[in-house]
Amino acid sequence: MDDSKGGSSFAVHISPEQVQRFCEFLYRRTGMSFAESKRYFIDRRLEDRITATGSSSFQEYFSLLRTDADQEIEHLINSFTVNETYFYREEHQLRCMTTSLLDAIVRQKKLGATLRIWSIPCSTGEEPYSIALWLMENWPQVDSYNIEIVGSDIDTRALKAATEGIYGDRALMRLSRDIVGRYFGPVTGGNYQIDEGLRNSIEFTRANLIDTKDMTQYRDFDLIFCRNVLIYFDDASRRLAAENLYDCLRPGGYICLGHSESMSRISPLFRVSRFPDAIVYQRPEADHG
Amino acid sequence: MAETATPAKAKVLVVDDSSLVRLYYRSALETAGFEVKQAINGIEAMERILSESFDLVIVDVNMPRMDGFTFLRSLRSGMADVATLPALMISTESGEQDMAEARVAGANFYLVKPVAEAELVRHVCVLTGVAL
Repeated sequence: MDDSKGGSSFAVHISPEQVQRFCEFLYRRTGMSFAESKRYFIDRRLEDRITATGSSSFQEYFSLLRTDADQEIEHLINSFTVNETYFYREEHQLRCMTTSLLDAIVRQKKLGATLRIWSIPCSTGEEPYSIALWLMENWPQVDSYNIEIVGSDIDTRALKAATEGIYGDRALMRLSRDIVGRYFGPVTGGNYQIDEGLRNSIEFTRANLIDTKDMTQYRDFDLIFCRNVLIYFDDASRRLAAENLYDCLRPGGYICLGHSESMSRISPLFRVSRFPDAIVYQRPEADHG
Repeated sequence: MAETATPAKAKVLVVDDSSLVRLYYRSALETAGFEVKQAINGIEAMERILSESFDLVIVDVNMPRMDGFTFLRSLRSGMADVATLPALMISTESGEQDMAEARVAGANFYLVKPVAEAELVRHVCVLTGVAL
């Protein structure tokens, strides 16, 4: 299994220059960037996609990727993202939440009022749990509001895993030992299960971003994290998803997108809000026209 | 009691309708060595208190079904062994009237949210007689 660290047993030869071109492409499309030390990780996934698409060389595969034939970009991204979800991912946005966004949001609220945060897609739960952990660790007003966190995904298998809340070392790599000790307990297989109280504090539901009827169940969110999913959609679906998300937000509420995504290119409904830690998008307080 | 002796774990009941708030208080108190149980409103809290013994109850004011004031009044009018249970009331309300009502209802101490972890632990230590 752990063969060919240098890539010599790969059926397709990939040169360092080609890997670099590929990484630049991947970075532009997803914001994911990999250090040279992750070369093995990249090679393995790249080789899988070259084989799966029946390409005979890197060059052939790369042309296919650049023209996005058979939605290869999505397949590629899936193969790269599956294992790339972890706690405290894109931490600067979590920091933005507690240094800027929530303060702006609660300025309009009474103490003790409900504050609704949505993680969609939430995949196997790392993001909504990270939001809860981050709030408890970093937001001094965490006990002054009734915070509701909802995690939604289209994939019911992912949701089942999210409710179970069992993670390996890789998912926890960004968390301090103190946080792991406080909120996780060891389970079989060298994994950790997140605290039962924390599991019960998040509501997990199935939702499809581009199903408008489905989305009408979700309203009055103050803050939405919708990261690295709009990149999978075509223009029409992306606009539809953005309009649905707009309706799910309370006027004045904010939405955080993934590193490489820009709402300005998707929909004119939102206003760009620049904060020291992140650029986010806001549903304006009052709708004009 | 000798300062070097390990104190028996004091047992605290946290009563708040927000699961994240309960978790936040619980985590702070468990890290400080307390044993923590939880209830989501006054009714559930009363059931727990009648079935097991606690050293302190921490109670929020605004909760559905039975609010903190009603809970305290009913606790104080109960049997002697539960009527004397120390109670720390925590609320978002900082008005004099609320504090006075808490005192009349039987709260031993009143804290206004937000309550930092260290502040919570300090007051809980004082109210349970556990050395800081």
